Amino acid sequence: MSNIGDLQALTSSIAAVASPFRRYLADLHEKYQSVNDGAVADYIPELALAKPEWFGICVVTTEGQVFEVGDCDQLFTIQSISKAFVYGMALEDHGREYVNSKVSVEPTGEAFNSIVLDETTNRPYNPMVNAGAIATADLIKGDSGTNRLKRMLDMFKRYTGRDHDINVPVFLSEKATGHRNRAMAYLMLNFGMVGEKIDETLDLYFQQCSILVNARDLAMLSATLANGGVNPVTKERAIDEHYVQDVISVMLTCGMYDGSGEWAYRVGMPAKSGVGGGITAIAPGKLGIGTFSPLLDVKGNSVRGIHVCEDLSKDFGLHIFNVANPEKVLDDWISGNGDLDIW
Amino acid sequence: MPKVVSIHSYRGGTGKSNFTANLATAVAMQGHRVAVVDTDLPSPGIHNLFSLEPEQTGKTLNNYLWGESSIEDAAYDIGANLGLGESGQLFLVPSSVKADDIARILKDGYDVRLMNDGFRNLVKALKLDYLFIDTHPGLSKETFLSIAISHILILILRPDKQDYQGTAVTMDVARQLNVRKMLLAINKVHSKLNPEALKQKVEETYGEPVAGIFPLSEDLVQLASEGVFCVKFPDHPISQEFLKVAQRISEA
Repeated sequence: MSNIGDLQALTSSIAAVASPFRRYLADLHEKYQSVNDGAVADYIPELALAKPEWFGICVVTTEGQVFEVGDCDQLFTIQSISKAFVYGMALEDHGREYVNSKVSVEPTGEAFNSIVLDETTNRPYNPMVNAGAIATADLIKGDSGTNRLKRMLDMFKRYTGRDHDINVPVFLSEKATGHRNRAMAYLMLNFGMVGEKIDETLDLYFQQCSILVNARDLAMLSATLANGGVNPVTKERAIDEHYVQDVISVMLTCGMYDGSGEWAYRVGMPAKSGVGGGITAIAPGKLGIGTFSPLLDVKGNSVRGIHVCEDLSKDFGLHIFNVANPEKVLDDWISGNGDLDIW
Repeated sequence: MPKVVSIHSYRGGTGKSNFTANLATAVAMQGHRVAVVDTDLPSPGIHNLFSLEPEQTGKTLNNYLWGESSIEDAAYDIGANLGLGESGQLFLVPSSVKADDIARILKDGYDVRLMNDGFRNLVKALKLDYLFIDTHPGLSKETFLSIAISHILILILRPDKQDYQGTAVTMDVARQLNVRKMLLAINKVHSKLNPEALKQKVEETYGEPVAGIFPLSEDLVQLASEGVFCVKFPDHPISQEFLKVAQRISEA
């Protein structure tokens, strides 16, 4: 039987390479490779090493087909994209009610690194701003910093299907320069919103941001959420199905920093970006998108990544509230049926 | 719309390159823009039929796959070599015959995605009507790709038990890859066999049409791959059979 499985795996991977949908992605890649707007993050020297020309697009469907174009093997640090998934883990560790008592789910309109808490409850506004992400990391269970980090890495492995490492120079740099994050943490400690192990938690937070991923991993992360929490390739469950909606909804309302409102309106795919240049975006029930291009706009979102998600959403009707017939029918483009002869 | 035609056989020595060269030429002679890509990287050879000498060859498919050139820079206009005149255009993308280059391909392999993108770029850059892919015999990732992107897959077999079995395996794969159209060509048919009966039997066995039957020919052997048979001997029955298959391709 294993032979039949191997043949299916090979034919499916070759069919993905040959499909019209990959040609569509290749055209998008060509179209936006020449866009050089934005700048590489340089608040720590390690991030400034990223090459502006790096550009990868990967789409993974809930059926497990993988479409890749460009630099999909290039590793970079996950940065803020980790926040959404660590939030899911905190929900699993403590349940919705307790997590909600520590971190709100309200979009702020403030920058991601603002030092501001809800005045009446002292909670950070949402798990996608730094303060909320630190409070969320604080909730991750484990008897030591190492153990808590290992639990996180294991979780990411369940989503992506492969082992992940930390970029140690990035971690040390983030830690050395992260005074603003420390200030937030101590402000929350003052209000009793985080526990006493604050230094361990800050290390954990800096480490979760320094996890190395590639564009394919980002597509797997979102495809797993799109598939109800089960990795569509390995079939392993990454998150309790009850919390998938929690993670996806905060991504929709807060995932793109203070560009989230316009993103929800224009693109309408729950998404999370990171200053490493990654974006992960979800079309629930259909697919996950991972893009990587380190040129960022002023809000910290990847310029080429935004273009790619916008086009995909518009052309294939992936906006979650879209009811109109899209210009292109996703299934036809993926299967190559329906006489789609594009070159 | 441009069409991709892959020519494949499970076993070696079926006459694949000869068939590809003749069929591509016959289609070009009908007035089309045609290119042939030699994806038989471990054992390239079709350039001989088109009289493209390795000494005249600069870039090859290998250079494209190693990121050293565009694929159109490795495409050679061979219409003049064949004396095609104004009627059609024929290009060849050869593979390298240097032992070092072949060794590098065998050692490192290459990215099938890049090959796929290359086919696409070539069709666009040369405004092709037809892209013919000459493949390496047997099954590999690369043959899977050429099968998957084909509008028409032509499988060549000899009346021989080894070929019969291998063709069935290839067809299983092709069906899994949802190939749009398959044609069979039977080559090197011994004069004692009844071609009509053979055709009927093969079509019944595989459930796909036989587009051409080619006899075991001393005339073809005599040419010894120095040129394209249907250009040198246009009135020969073999050339007529190629024209018949070419007609079938352009009608498909």
